[in-house]
Amino acid sequence: MGKLKLYFSACLVVFVLCLLQLQFDYSKLWSGLFKLGNTISLMLPPDASQWQYVLSAAIESVQVAIIGTVLAIVCSFFLSFLAASNITPHPALSWAIRGICSLLRSIPTLIWVLIFIVAVGLGPLPGVLAIMIGAIGSLIKVFAQSIEEVDEGVIEALRATGSSWLGIVIQGVLPCALTALLAWCVMRFEGDLAESTILGTVGAGGIGYELSHAMRGYRYDQALFVGIVIFVMVFSVELVANRLKLKMAKRL
Amino acid sequence: MNIEQQYMQKVRKQRIQWFVFIVVLLALTVWAAIGTNFNLFVLFSGLSEGFSFLFHDLLPPSPATLPSLLDAALDTICMSFVAMILGSIIAAVIAMFTAVTTTPFPRLRYFFRAATALLRNIPVLIWALILVSGFGLGNLVGTLSLLIVSIGMLVRCFAEALEEIDRGQLEALKATGASHLQMITSAVLPQFMPSFIGWSLFNLEINIRASTIVGMVGGGGLGFMIQSGIKLFQYKQVSMAIILVIVIVLATEWLTGRVRERLI
Amino acid sequence: MTLLQVEQLKKVYPDGTVGLKGISFELEAGEFVAVIGPSGAGKSTLLRCLNRMVESSSGTITLQGNTITKVKAKQLRAVRRKMGMIFQGYNLVARSTVLTNVLHGRLGYMNSLKGALGLFNKQDTELAKALLNKVGLSEQMYKRADELSGGQQQRVGIARALAQRPALILADEPIASLDPAASQTVMQTLYEACKADGIACLCNLHQVEVAKKFATRIIGIRAGEKVFDGAPEQLTDEMISYIYEGAKHEEAVGRKETA
Repeated sequence: MGKLKLYFSACLVVFVLCLLQLQFDYSKLWSGLFKLGNTISLMLPPDASQWQYVLSAAIESVQVAIIGTVLAIVCSFFLSFLAASNITPHPALSWAIRGICSLLRSIPTLIWVLIFIVAVGLGPLPGVLAIMIGAIGSLIKVFAQSIEEVDEGVIEALRATGSSWLGIVIQGVLPCALTALLAWCVMRFEGDLAESTILGTVGAGGIGYELSHAMRGYRYDQALFVGIVIFVMVFSVELVANRLKLKMAKRL
Repeated sequence: MNIEQQYMQKVRKQRIQWFVFIVVLLALTVWAAIGTNFNLFVLFSGLSEGFSFLFHDLLPPSPATLPSLLDAALDTICMSFVAMILGSIIAAVIAMFTAVTTTPFPRLRYFFRAATALLRNIPVLIWALILVSGFGLGNLVGTLSLLIVSIGMLVRCFAEALEEIDRGQLEALKATGASHLQMITSAVLPQFMPSFIGWSLFNLEINIRASTIVGMVGGGGLGFMIQSGIKLFQYKQVSMAIILVIVIVLATEWLTGRVRERLI
Repeated sequence: MTLLQVEQLKKVYPDGTVGLKGISFELEAGEFVAVIGPSGAGKSTLLRCLNRMVESSSGTITLQGNTITKVKAKQLRAVRRKMGMIFQGYNLVARSTVLTNVLHGRLGYMNSLKGALGLFNKQDTELAKALLNKVGLSEQMYKRADELSGGQQQRVGIARALAQRPALILADEPIASLDPAASQTVMQTLYEACKADGIACLCNLHQVEVAKKFATRIIGIRAGEKVFDGAPEQLTDEMISYIYEGAKHEEAVGRKETA
């Protein structure tokens, strides 16, 4: 427990240093709360009058998430077999793919969106590209993890039959890892949908744009409606995903 | 060959299921592609433009901008850390109320659950947008929105961990006549500590990533520098800032990994 | 002609551990050779060096007159398909059917894409079914491999090895995870299959009685060295204790009591 105490007191010191660095204006905390209360009262009741725009923007967000995730799954599926350390054709290849992935992953999707907006202009395309890049980074990592969990013995047995690399992968590794890979895909879609709803706030298409638009125009009642729609989208996908996961766990 | 026929039937059924699954998936993808005017040509031209922008305009970064970015970078780290510390303490307390094993008021459990689900399921960026209207631009908004989402995530994880602890020990203590608080400090906390530390560290990693995001809508830190840099065409500064983000994210991952090894 | 010739086979692991200290022996077609020795003596390493799952450090291996120690990629696949392998943990693809698992034995003969997609031709399928019949599992053909008991799974493993139409079967502790009754069936199946087709078998075992019962010849290995090579009758109790007194003392005590 001594070590634990040391770490906790170190945390406390860093915490105080952080507060000093951030220099919060604590008086603002109170007045801000009142202002926030004011904002919230302006939000009620939610204004659904713009529902057509909100709905089409919501659909666009879903579409962006679908394409981005599907493209990422296709790419990651092939690359992850090269990246998994137990079946990679060459360790250097595995190392290179993993390195690139962690680089891709460490840049948040929203920054990718900013980059792609400048490069290809506004609209859904920068969103699709950004989601795809972000999802590739994380999917290859988790796919490779699941592939590495496949029983070493199965791979050994197929290698001993004189099977080719492709044969080992598709006949031996894939059946063992398939459930896990599917579960990761579902989870990734959940995350990507949540991300695609906020891409609009920095200028890409989708429902996030409606939200920041309403906020900037001080139409907090409209903003709340958009917020509710986003919550329903994210939450219902989480529910469906949970059911799918249960079903898959039973089936396979 | 009865077995064979049965098997063939099963295989056929499975094949049909797979076929339907793939057709539905394909149809959804096509629908989405049409809706967003997306096709492979657009994909490749978009990617090539994106990366040519990345390599021609953004890179190389200008080291001259580094000093002005360091302060923002420090802010980013501090916001994440403060949100993690406050978040994990608050979340631990709330989790005690939500977990079946430890709650003193079983009826209030669902209230706490629903409330934290709300915190969790609204993206951090939207929290930041809302908070900006109250607190104005700056670090405070960034920290508070990170804190809100941290609490949402951590309560769920902590509560799950608390529900997995060994009930036998609780019962044994109850039998000795210990009070609720005594039970928590002497039976629950020791078992809960590893997951408390583990999830808090994971939360720090998530906060670090998220803190660059909240900056973009006014939460301060590196995100703000990136957003404003792009608007002002200061691309060399933007790439320097992005590199700082990468360094901070990877360094945090490495550090939390080390701490995890030592403590758990 | 000698089927397999092993000369001065050595294996040193990258961390400096010596697995094999120069082992030589020959194997004729149709021989059923048991390799005995304490765990850690190098039995598994020896088997895996033979089909190059583990690369030996020095020495030569000659299979049917061809040196295979240095062959690459495509020829290596051809070499491996001549040697069926059976594992302690069965190593079946749990989610695939029993039949598919046996068909995996044909992968070495197929081109890469066909094999990967599982497009086995009719002869292969017939062969696999016949082999399942031979090991007494034709009823279980379409079950998933993990629905079978350990002994049944190991018999699928044997069928998979036989599907390679091998000249030699390498069996690595095939009965170590099985109960006595299942062990008996598995050994009997393996023995009869090898005898019927004239396949040579090199079988790692740690039960000396089983080795004595089935083997036509026994090789004893201790700390990476061959210390015995002869007919089962020549294996005396003193020899057995000598073999098992190998690497670890406590191991030797345990072995003496059982042996």
